[in-house]
Amino acid sequence: MNSFNTIWANGRGNLATWLLWGLAAVFVVYTFASGGYLIAVLQFALIYTVLVTGLNIFMGFTGQVSFGHNAFAAIGGYSSAVLTATYGWEPLPAGLVGLAGALLCALVIGYPVLRLRGHYLAMATLAIGLIVYEVAVQWQSVTQGYMGISGIAPIGIGRFTITSDRGLLVFLMIAAALALLSAAGIRRSRLGRAFVAAAGSEDAARALGIDVARYKLIAFMISAAYAAIAGSLFAHAVGFVSPEVFGLPMVVMSFTMLYVGGIGTIAGPALGAIIISVLPESFRTFKDYQDLAYGAALIVILIYAPRGLASLPELWARWRRRSA
Amino acid sequence: MAQFRFTSGLLLAGAVALSGTSGARAQDAYKIGMSAGLTGYAATVDRAWRDGVEVAIAAVNAAGGVDGRKLELVVEDNRSEPQEAVTAYRKMLSSDKVQVFASGCVSAGNFAAAPLVVRAETPMVLCSILPQQPDHVKWAFTTIPQPRFEVETRLEYIQKKTQIKKIGVLHDPSPYANAQKAAAEKEAKDYGLEIVGVEQYKTDDADLSVQIQKMYAAGARALIKIGLGGTTLTAAKNIKQLDLDMIMLTSLEDIAVFRPVAEVLGDKFFFVASPSQVYDEIESSPLKTEIGKFLTPWRAKYKDRDPNWAGRGWDAVMLIAAAAGKAKSVEGPKVRDALESMDNFQGTTGIYHMSATNHQGITENPLLLATITGGQVKVVK
Amino acid sequence: MKSIATPTRILEIEGLSARYGHVEALRPVDLHVDEGELVAVLGPNGAGKSTLMNAIMGLVPTQGQVKFRGRAVPRRAPAAAAGLGIVLVPEGRGIFAPMTVAENLELGAYLLNDKHEYARRTARVLAMFPRLKERLAQTAGSLSGGEQQMLAVGRALMSEPKILLLDEPSLGLAPRIIDEILQKLGELNRQGLSIILVEQKAPLVLKLANRAYLLSVGSIAAEIDPRTIKSHDELVQYYLG
Ligand SMILES: Nc1ncnc2c1ncn2[C@@H]1O[C@H](COP(=O)(O)OP(=O)(O)OP(=O)(O)O)[C@@H](O)[C@H]1O
Ligand SMILES: [Mg+2]
Repeated sequence: MNSFNTIWANGRGNLATWLLWGLAAVFVVYTFASGGYLIAVLQFALIYTVLVTGLNIFMGFTGQVSFGHNAFAAIGGYSSAVLTATYGWEPLPAGLVGLAGALLCALVIGYPVLRLRGHYLAMATLAIGLIVYEVAVQWQSVTQGYMGISGIAPIGIGRFTITSDRGLLVFLMIAAALALLSAAGIRRSRLGRAFVAAAGSEDAARALGIDVARYKLIAFMISAAYAAIAGSLFAHAVGFVSPEVFGLPMVVMSFTMLYVGGIGTIAGPALGAIIISVLPESFRTFKDYQDLAYGAALIVILIYAPRGLASLPELWARWRRRSA
Repeated sequence: MAQFRFTSGLLLAGAVALSGTSGARAQDAYKIGMSAGLTGYAATVDRAWRDGVEVAIAAVNAAGGVDGRKLELVVEDNRSEPQEAVTAYRKMLSSDKVQVFASGCVSAGNFAAAPLVVRAETPMVLCSILPQQPDHVKWAFTTIPQPRFEVETRLEYIQKKTQIKKIGVLHDPSPYANAQKAAAEKEAKDYGLEIVGVEQYKTDDADLSVQIQKMYAAGARALIKIGLGGTTLTAAKNIKQLDLDMIMLTSLEDIAVFRPVAEVLGDKFFFVASPSQVYDEIESSPLKTEIGKFLTPWRAKYKDRDPNWAGRGWDAVMLIAAAAGKAKSVEGPKVRDALESMDNFQGTTGIYHMSATNHQGITENPLLLATITGGQVKVVK
Repeated sequence: MKSIATPTRILEIEGLSARYGHVEALRPVDLHVDEGELVAVLGPNGAGKSTLMNAIMGLVPTQGQVKFRGRAVPRRAPAAAAGLGIVLVPEGRGIFAPMTVAENLELGAYLLNDKHEYARRTARVLAMFPRLKERLAQTAGSLSGGEQQMLAVGRALMSEPKILLLDEPSLGLAPRIIDEILQKLGELNRQGLSIILVEQKAPLVLKLANRAYLLSVGSIAAEIDPRTIKSHDELVQYYLG
């Protein structure tokens, strides 16, 4: 694990990087031009990019584990859904309430939980996810339980709403790009260095005067904020939320994306989100063998690029050095 | 290194596979799409629904199809998840050019996709309950009997055949179970009954004795159990262990699930049955004839597999075929309008009275109460 | 009435003890360091040397008192200790492998938020360890063991500590590199920096140290004046009690 962050730095200008981004660009342009259902696939991929970028700040940069970020996505998603669909709010203030709710929740939960390490932390975050799910099911007067909330207005400000699929796609691309850029900014800042230090060695970081517990909490809250935004985006993009939307499959999905894309890297979450969303679609024609083909592809990726797709440029550079 | 070439080859292959997504080719087929939870929590119900739909399509095609067109089914697994359902619906709309939907019981998936379906002006006949939004309901129809029927069948039995006056309601949190619970709360007094306890459980609960005992202590001597799966057996075992003087009446379910329950509770156990489940027990009627049409190919293919959910899938296809036949068109808006005019349509579950104001066609309670004695399913008269 | 003749205490430790569950790794110890002193802490494996360093920093739960220039150092608050100017280079160096050498150095001055001052300190550290200069953009994990130790020391110096605690800096290094690092430490000490140097290889440090404590099974077995230790045998004598 010696150099997950250099992947980004060293990869610039290398052929594999261009190829990866080229492929992604071709796919995006193709989808954009052809319309069709791949637009939906890509929209979900972009929403997941935001979620996974947040998770990456907590897990990749700061070296912690969370199985509970679906909870924050649910808080964001339900705040947007309830406030806009039931109370007629504008999407922006509704989303901000969700964001504030997620931050508060992350603060209240993170404060005691982040003193735990390893398995205990993982278990505690898993519990948060399950609790929020249960609240979404039981608090029927607000969430309508398993019925879910439908008729959520599309995203927009005032009279300007994004109703076309392509418009939404562009909006989500901007949102995902902002997520990635902000994560890159965080990583390069003092804050980001403190996160990575806490991931490296808590004791060494403490001995340098870094208040590790505090930075873990900050990382947790920042990543919760990304998750809440992803939840709100989902609510408006689909127009519907229900507890199942924010269930355990969301956790499994975001973990797969994070590891396949490359944990700890900047571009990894985007690569992972797009590949993991698109792969099952390219195997859809296999029908019953779709899951099998998908699983096999995942294993191949993780065997040959164990540090994720974002490490491909580095693998490429190594191969060139060796063959030179 | 070879690894890299391989991986990038994989990416390319993926991209190529994507660009090859096909448009509609067989112009003369009438394409029915289905988003179903073939995996995940809805798998049992939705696989039965799909198999019923397939049997019905084969029957319609054998009789020459609709308006000279063969029916063609496109099934996409939504893994019982709303997000997957949205992708599946969109794929079927834009790539497969599906013209009508006969989708499964994952209500959240159908609700999430409803705006798309409405925008595409494609009617859907569902296994699940109807969406909430009025503009979504316009394009959605369901084969599901009203939730209150399942409750009324049981309340009526308690009123007429027992001395019991106090009852308890035990239900899971699914929308359909909640709707039944609400119906029970509303109507119990019409049957001279008092609900002394309403308790909820989760579908994976391994013990229900706390809830049951609480209601028993409050005086409940009949337990209305609402919800699918293994919890019915759990509740039966709990009643037996606690040695309670209490009967249990459960909601519709695959009868295979009930056999072990009957072994535990014997004559204290009753369940709601759809007519197709007790085909051999019911008298000759147009209903029995329609069920017979379905059960012949069904039993030929699946032996004594439970026909309940499959029968509703059959009904969905027959409704669509009848509507398209009547409209002499497969265009979405026309089929939708024709579906709305399907009044007095005999299905395997009951008679559908679709109208502009009623997209849940079964308005008369077709359900029966049954028991299992000596391994034989018997209708309680 | 400041007297120049009598040395002032930079660190005064009284009855400091630490335990891991049932294991009492450090029995109550008393020790002190005067301003400008280089004090060695010697002892065999498991004697409690690392525990003592961690206890001073407040990285482990402790009882007893640590005073820095007469003021009590808060317990269980390593950030506060670092803020006072007590900095530890931990056993195994504790460098942040995924980060670049430059980022590691920046983290050393984490409490500082002044670009110019930061640049000045970096220049000073790089002057002391020129080898790091060529490797600023390289990840710390890709450095050699000796370079990593230099980075660990350099990183600690970035905060301009008043007293530097070093836990076995010679661990796993070639003799030539150890000499180089010890020579730098001597230099720093001559510039006025107080140092506590933990070592198992006593002969290496006794040349450098003003005083030495001998730690054995969690207690201070002896305080040694290096000048009185004439031969290696004599030290072995100490170890054996
Ligand atoms: N985290 C811990 N949990 C339990 N026991 C510990 C822990 N850390 C150290 N110990 C025990 O405390 C005692 C002192 O350990 P310490 O690491 O302080 O010794 P040391 O003198 O630094 O040894 P070395 O020369 O091997 O580094 C040992 O018996 C050790 O097993
Ligand atoms: Mg040690």
